[in-house]
Amino acid sequence: MTRQEIEDKVKNFLVEELEFDEENIKPEARLKEDIGVDSLDFVDIVVIVEKTFGFKIVAEEMKTIKTFGQFCDYIETKIQA
Amino acid sequence: MEYALVTGASRGIGRAVAERLAQDGMPVVINYKSNATAAEETKKAIEEAGGVCELLPFDTSDPKAIEAAVEQWQEKHPDDYVSVLVNNAGIRQDNILVFMTDEQWHSVLDTTLNGFFYLTRRVMKDMMTHRNGRIVNVVSLSGLKGMPGQTNYSAAKAAVIGATKALAQEVAPRKVTVNAVAPGFIATDMTKELDEGELKKLIPVGRFGKPEEVASLVSFLASKEAAYITGQVVSINGGLYT
Repeated sequence: MTRQEIEDKVKNFLVEELEFDEENIKPEARLKEDIGVDSLDFVDIVVIVEKTFGFKIVAEEMKTIKTFGQFCDYIETKIQA
Repeated sequence: MEYALVTGASRGIGRAVAERLAQDGMPVVINYKSNATAAEETKKAIEEAGGVCELLPFDTSDPKAIEAAVEQWQEKHPDDYVSVLVNNAGIRQDNILVFMTDEQWHSVLDTTLNGFFYLTRRVMKDMMTHRNGRIVNVVSLSGLKGMPGQTNYSAAKAAVIGATKALAQEVAPRKVTVNAVAPGFIATDMTKELDEGELKKLIPVGRFGKPEEVASLVSFLASKEAAYITGQVVSINGGLYT
């Protein structure tokens, strides 16, 4: 899966499933402050990411992730691992 | 398909709750720790009444056992989830505080309070993503009023009441409700050594409650009709404590 495909998939479920504004979803956008993701949304995101990309998200590893781009980086790393 | 999971369901209130939820039309998962014979009897009673039931033994105080059991259940049920969880498992290890052993203190807190935490955490994710869930915690009059000789039990049940109120607010936006029922004296194995003749004089209704009466309350809180009730502790004690 290419980096672009990862970004498209994540963006797609943020817009389609969780109804976030597509315009706000950019690599440098902060998940909480700019996109509006709250802690309950993270539950949905974790479940969808695990199903879509086939790995378990480790809560500890998510602590340093602030932006949409960093989140896609994390997924990319996990898939390649 | 939606399932109901009832902990400590081989006997007493847990068994009555499992039977009632099955009667309400839900497939029921019966958890028990060690009494396989009683659990089989409950399963048989449910199936003979036309209900759907399966057994899932694990110790609620053991997070690894919970993880393994739930994982195994989910593998067998890839398209199903637990939408009703009744945290009923609990033990009593009464003693006055000055003589209470570490083991008596910890075992009661582990089974009741930690069990609530481990299992609810494990099944909550599915409820939240499905935007549908009912958690009913079976607490006790002891957790509201406090009972002498039960500092461990009262502490554990009071802690679950606090957790019920906090969690209810946390998950309400995901259409998951969290409530507690607080039974007084109910005629079960857990109360059979008590002096019912003397104690019932203190109860305005004049008798011990029946497990089926508690099950009826749990059934309502677990139903779709109870969607606007959350974070509540409902007493069922014959007027003993208000």
